[in-house]
Amino acid sequence: MAEIKRIIGIEGQAGHPALCVLPEIEKEDELFEIIWTLREDGKLTLEQIVQNCTISECEKILQDLAKNGWIDLKGQAVELLPKGEKRARELVRRHRLSLRMFYDLFALDGAEAEACKFEHILSPEVTDSVCTLLGHPPNSPDGKPIPRGECCAMFRQEMKPLVAPLADLTPGEQAKIVFITPGSHSRLDRLSAMGVVPGSVVKLHQKKPSYVIQLGETMIAVDKDITKEIFVKKI
Amino acid sequence: MHDHGSQEGMKYRDSNQYKVLLIGNPNVGKSALFGLLTGTYVTVSNYPGTTVEVTYGNAWLNKARTLVIDTPGVNSLVPMSEDEKVTRDMLLSDRADVVVQVADTKNLRRGLLITLQLAEMTVPFILDLNMDDEARSRGIVIDQEKLSALLGIEVVKTVAIRRSGIDKLLKGVQHPRPSQVKVQYDAAIEGAIRDISSLLPEANISRRAIALMVLSGDESLKGWLHANLQDHVVADIEEIRQATQSKFNNSLGYLINQRRMKKADELLDEVLSLHEAGKGSAIAFNVGRWSMHPVYGLPILLAVLYLVYQFVGVLGAGTAVGFLEETVFGEYLNPWMTKIVHFLIPVPFIQELLIGDYGIFTMALTYAIAIVLPIVGFFFIAFSLLEDSGYLPRLAVMVNKVFKIMGLNGKAVLPMILGLGCDTMATLTTRILETKKERILVTLLLALGVPCSAQLGVILGLVSGLSGLATFIWLGTLVAMMLLVGYLAAKIIPGDPSDFVLELPPIRIPQFSNILIKTLARVQWYLKEAVPLFILGTFILFIGHKVGALAYIQKITDPIVVNFLGLPSRAAEAFVIGFLRRDYGAAGLFMLSREGLLDPIQIVVSLTVMTLFVPCIANFFMMVKERGTRTALYMAAFIFPFAFIVGGALNWLLRALQVEL
Repeated sequence: MAEIKRIIGIEGQAGHPALCVLPEIEKEDELFEIIWTLREDGKLTLEQIVQNCTISECEKILQDLAKNGWIDLKGQAVELLPKGEKRARELVRRHRLSLRMFYDLFALDGAEAEACKFEHILSPEVTDSVCTLLGHPPNSPDGKPIPRGECCAMFRQEMKPLVAPLADLTPGEQAKIVFITPGSHSRLDRLSAMGVVPGSVVKLHQKKPSYVIQLGETMIAVDKDITKEIFVKKI
Repeated sequence: MHDHGSQEGMKYRDSNQYKVLLIGNPNVGKSALFGLLTGTYVTVSNYPGTTVEVTYGNAWLNKARTLVIDTPGVNSLVPMSEDEKVTRDMLLSDRADVVVQVADTKNLRRGLLITLQLAEMTVPFILDLNMDDEARSRGIVIDQEKLSALLGIEVVKTVAIRRSGIDKLLKGVQHPRPSQVKVQYDAAIEGAIRDISSLLPEANISRRAIALMVLSGDESLKGWLHANLQDHVVADIEEIRQATQSKFNNSLGYLINQRRMKKADELLDEVLSLHEAGKGSAIAFNVGRWSMHPVYGLPILLAVLYLVYQFVGVLGAGTAVGFLEETVFGEYLNPWMTKIVHFLIPVPFIQELLIGDYGIFTMALTYAIAIVLPIVGFFFIAFSLLEDSGYLPRLAVMVNKVFKIMGLNGKAVLPMILGLGCDTMATLTTRILETKKERILVTLLLALGVPCSAQLGVILGLVSGLSGLATFIWLGTLVAMMLLVGYLAAKIIPGDPSDFVLELPPIRIPQFSNILIKTLARVQWYLKEAVPLFILGTFILFIGHKVGALAYIQKITDPIVVNFLGLPSRAAEAFVIGFLRRDYGAAGLFMLSREGLLDPIQIVVSLTVMTLFVPCIANFFMMVKERGTRTALYMAAFIFPFAFIVGGALNWLLRALQVEL
């Protein structure tokens, strides 16, 4: 939930404070996600978990998880045990990939509600397919890292991804920018001031002797490295 | 290549005149508009970054004397390079009565990004949609009334180079208003804006705008903050920024721009309509495409170089110089002048000063007017044509990879090519480069190996009498030395290279009037800049000759000049004046060669040494101004010995290999 709130925050007017309606089993999933997200922020304590938790019987479920060997509880300290780690990792991966999909691909405003439902029903195979389809995105829309799956390690483009680096387009092709993973902050700032932001339509003009891209009536010559960091969907 | 330096600006600055500030993206026609309003010519070219300094001019607007200010183009009012900072600082510290935002109509999306920032600043402004003709030929039509209503400010359309729409612009300037359009940011950012605003002092622009600059990570704002706030407040502000940044994975600057872009797109949706494009733009587009094509690009580059050589080297340095020097000066002016001087001034000393071997008339003016002037004149025409066509930035696409060897990227091509016009101005243009390392590298390479128009012309004249191989050896040595020095300097000088991001302007047919005005302005600049130094150099030689110092210098430099470089003793003279201006030195070599005192190897060696010299005294002062005294001195201390060493090595190599030139 913490993560969802943050996304709504970033998109500002998106505005559907989605509440996932959770069956019993999914309450556990929810807790795993909270633990993972808190750990990323370096704020993982029992108190924080309870604070961020919107489901009832939060502490009781935590005790159950500890009893069954998913997590380790010592006072305020909370730790994911190996099998809990694996489950949390896969859950977060599914959740963030779902968000990515609904946001970028389908451009849905109420993406978080859909993602909530989706993350619980994705099988591992389908998850990898979604990941490949999206071009193995490294971040969810709010910038949080998506845990990598096996498919990302291979990253062989057996399934032609819908979302691919701009560098992979054939000269002359047009595409819409879906997301950008910048190597440096200043690079992103500079490009965004020239109109290179998600949603812009970009055309790869040529690759040799240097990469040239075109946005509207603006032509920009750029390093190849930069075009590898701009992920686009062909149109 | 005018030097509208800051002193000129100071003259106007304190007065209480009505002030008009021109602001906009790069290459949208601000300078063209400035020229129209003030009648003062500033260089207008077809590539981004032509203007790197603020230029002031006076105009009569609505019967009142008005100060018009031209600024370097910006893509964002959060500056990324020195030239962009200049523009932002104008808004921050110099209250203008009206800001005229000039936008390229066909690129309105990016223009609106600036509009939104001006709106945030709450400065009174109007929006000028320039180049409306180009937009229309591409089928882009903007509903100007609707845009005006949406923004709440006056919006006018102009085609500055054809003077169309200027009346409306002048009317619009009388009704500047702050725009009411507002961009809403993410709640966390809005919160930070409120917190920072409460700490900021009163300024010419709104606190909200300054807070947004701070949040965008604007390093160049630090100085202003410290000047206006106590240190602990600045620290508080920085803390708020960092706390806000930690809530996001992407940089705040990017998130802010992204939101602005979204707003710009919303506005654009309402006012832009697309129609069928005309044919003219397609031809220009294809020319642009071929000029940076992986296969055709290189032949086109060679063809361009060949044409420039034919025009400047053969027609300018050959035909025009031959006519001026031999016929006009040799047969008429110099004999007449000699007669007149002999008749009017019976003092032998002054006679010799004016018309002797080192005479101001017979040497300085003959060199300046008969040899160098026609060459630079022809070069300026060719160069202006290239500039206005939009070809130059496309060169950057061709050579980006080569420049990477020197720790630079393709963008550095612009100052380097401008160096072929004038190294001094080009040194100023290094401001368009993003990192200090790149600016130092380009300054060094300009001073070391890029021959300026005047010198290039003389060189072309010299080598045109030689074989292609001689030209190739000279050029090859230069390029190799620049690559070598660039490569090594890039290793030594600390700092990171920056990304290659360069906007390519559209290919345009150069306008005859602009070529003419620009060439004349540059010729005038050359005469003002070079002739006094030519006279000074000649005077030094004359005195040196009179008191015997010249013979003495020749004697002590003989080991280097004669033994090491294998040149005749008199070449020392050329090197002495080469310290002042290397084109003057080259002209000296030109004369030596005409007298048959230099064999082909000697020509190549002496030319190489001369080309590697620091271009001129003015260039050295510009290096001091832009890079600091210490760096400039280091560079000079490296360049002069290096030039002689390379020349000596080349001499030895050519003789050892018994190369026939």
